[in-house]
Amino acid sequence: MAASSALKRLMNPLIDPAAFDFWVGKVSPLLSWERPLARVVAREVSARDTVTLVLKPNRHVAPVMPGQHLPVTVEVNGVRLTRQYSPTQTGGRLAITVKRVPGGAVSTYLNRDARVGDVLELGTPFGAMRDDPSVPGWLFAAAGSGITPLMSLLRAQAARGRVRTTLMYWARTRADLCFLPELQQMARDWPGLTLIPVLTREADLVPGEDRGRPDSDLLARHVPDLATRQVYACGPAGFVGQLERLTADTAAGFLGEAFTPPERALVAGAPVQVTLARSGRVLEIPAGEALLPALEARGESPAFGCRMGVCHTCACQRLDGTSEDLLNGRQHSEPGMLRLCVSAARSHLTLDL
Amino acid sequence: MTAQQPAPTSLSPVARGNVARRPLTRAQVEAFGAELDALRDRTLADIGEVDARYIKRIYAAVRYTEAVGRVLLFFGIFPPAWILGTLLLGISKILENMELGHNVMHGQYDWMNDPRFDGKTYEWDVVGTSDNWRKTHNFQHHTYTNVKGMDDDVGYGLLRLFPEQRWRPFYLFQPIIAVIFALMFQWGVAIQDLRLGRYFAGKMTREELAEQFRPVGRKMRRQLLKDYAFFPLLAGPFFLPVLLGNLVANGLRNLWTYMIIFCGHFTANAEVFPKEMVENETRGEWYLRQLRGSSNLRGGKLFHIMSGNLSHQIEHHLFPDIPARRYAELSRDVRAICARYGIYYNTGSLASQFGQVVWRILRYAFPSKPVKLAGKTLVVD
Repeated sequence: MAASSALKRLMNPLIDPAAFDFWVGKVSPLLSWERPLARVVAREVSARDTVTLVLKPNRHVAPVMPGQHLPVTVEVNGVRLTRQYSPTQTGGRLAITVKRVPGGAVSTYLNRDARVGDVLELGTPFGAMRDDPSVPGWLFAAAGSGITPLMSLLRAQAARGRVRTTLMYWARTRADLCFLPELQQMARDWPGLTLIPVLTREADLVPGEDRGRPDSDLLARHVPDLATRQVYACGPAGFVGQLERLTADTAAGFLGEAFTPPERALVAGAPVQVTLARSGRVLEIPAGEALLPALEARGESPAFGCRMGVCHTCACQRLDGTSEDLLNGRQHSEPGMLRLCVSAARSHLTLDL
Repeated sequence: MTAQQPAPTSLSPVARGNVARRPLTRAQVEAFGAELDALRDRTLADIGEVDARYIKRIYAAVRYTEAVGRVLLFFGIFPPAWILGTLLLGISKILENMELGHNVMHGQYDWMNDPRFDGKTYEWDVVGTSDNWRKTHNFQHHTYTNVKGMDDDVGYGLLRLFPEQRWRPFYLFQPIIAVIFALMFQWGVAIQDLRLGRYFAGKMTREELAEQFRPVGRKMRRQLLKDYAFFPLLAGPFFLPVLLGNLVANGLRNLWTYMIIFCGHFTANAEVFPKEMVENETRGEWYLRQLRGSSNLRGGKLFHIMSGNLSHQIEHHLFPDIPARRYAELSRDVRAICARYGIYYNTGSLASQFGQVVWRILRYAFPSKPVKLAGKTLVVD
């Protein structure tokens, strides 16, 4: 291994990684100079509109800790799209469970089109929510699809045993709960686990369920020993913020991971935040205003050329958020290239600048 | 001509045929621009899987022709293998340069999010760096197309191709210089952005030049090592045939790209424009200037692919970021739009268009009646 990586370093300046991948890909599609790839080795329908894909990663895929997210890239209609999943690692295999989202290009592709033998491109695992065997008690708070990283943590803890964990899992109705049979089975097999579905729009509750948005009463009822618990919260930004206010000062520790559902396009002139990922600067600019002059007016000096959408000098990655192409009014929300001179923000944006 | 018609603007003395150059009214130019914008939107909305599949196939063709060409050259002591190997390597280099590299670097395939076809990072197989190219070509040439003093590609600071350029005795040598430039085209393009003229005129210090040359020098070294050391050495005793094959393949590409590119803007009816024209230029005016400064080549499908679809130079200049495989179908609409506005659509066979380029090279080596650019306009108010 050490010898091969030394050889690789030596060869690096001589190798065109794309050409290398082109030729070794003829031998096996999993071979690559440096790209993390994985082959689908099993596909199983786990629920309605939900499949679990078992992946065999190549040597460039970094180990994924329970609770971490893994970027998965697929090509749909010629465009490469990336989504984050929370895989479960068993042996040398990774399993991702994908629920089909109406209108979701990647979840639809992975549900409907991905076949055993297909190769997916993976990214670098990320996420700070890790399992820690020295922590005696946990409170996991999940809302909606925020359950997924907590699910792989729960599986790891269930295998480990000797830990008290309460999972409070918010959803609208019982039918919206993912992994419910698996969670119920887990709670039967692992006495330390307390499972509390919290349903906001379910008419009739069964024993063990509760209702309502997160507040101190609800927490006091289900986690009287909060002071001894480490809290992990995962869900929309508002939910995670609320959990942080409720528990950060009283629990043994708090860590939140928020995802923000796609924002609705903002009207022209409304202030939006543009985050420049490389410098870390956050600027406030009006929605609908061309980004290049707006950034310049706030002291940034991105590279530019024609200022009319011709030369691509000012092209940069839109990492997050919705932008509008001012030449045709079309809006784009997928991570991808935009030209600063002919694009405007239509939501909070993160740019690779 | 009736009395109401404005006088025709300065017409190149070599202009051929019955080319009406009546300026359009402002309203006509904007309507013309709006039609092109609509055409652009229609095409962009349709771009997807077929275009992605196409550029991947081009990439595969580059890889296969290169591999087969280089392997054949290892057996280059047999003349048929040498000839076929050299031709295939030349074809591979032409495809990589034009249909793949040039078009990818315009960002035509950025929407794929595929790092292999990323316009900002693609590095092509020529001695010039992609970064310099993105500046001189994507920005200067495409924004200020055929604007004298702003688009360096007007004569490349080396040739006098238009009577609007001032004659100097140096240009008497241009028939020879043009041939050397054609044979060394990739080297000429590589040093274009160094602006050696500024150094010789004392406007740039040696240190500044050395600083700018550093990345170019690195790229040149890499290319030279690859074609004239690595692969010949790999062939062992057949060092020489491999080296010669690589040299000829690079030379073939130089000649071919030079010919195609010169036909794009230096045919008899292609025009140059004054600097003041780009001030407050509207989108419609910009489209019109692109059209009047560019010229197409007629040919079959294979010819268009081998020219990187720069045979559709007009469509490329109107829509530089639309995948080039779309230019053929776009050209039908562009022609129809031009016909509606009475705008001349400059196209012809390679022989005819390149013949006109050669004539310009020969003719403007010699003094000619000066033609003033100042005041030239494409619009009447």
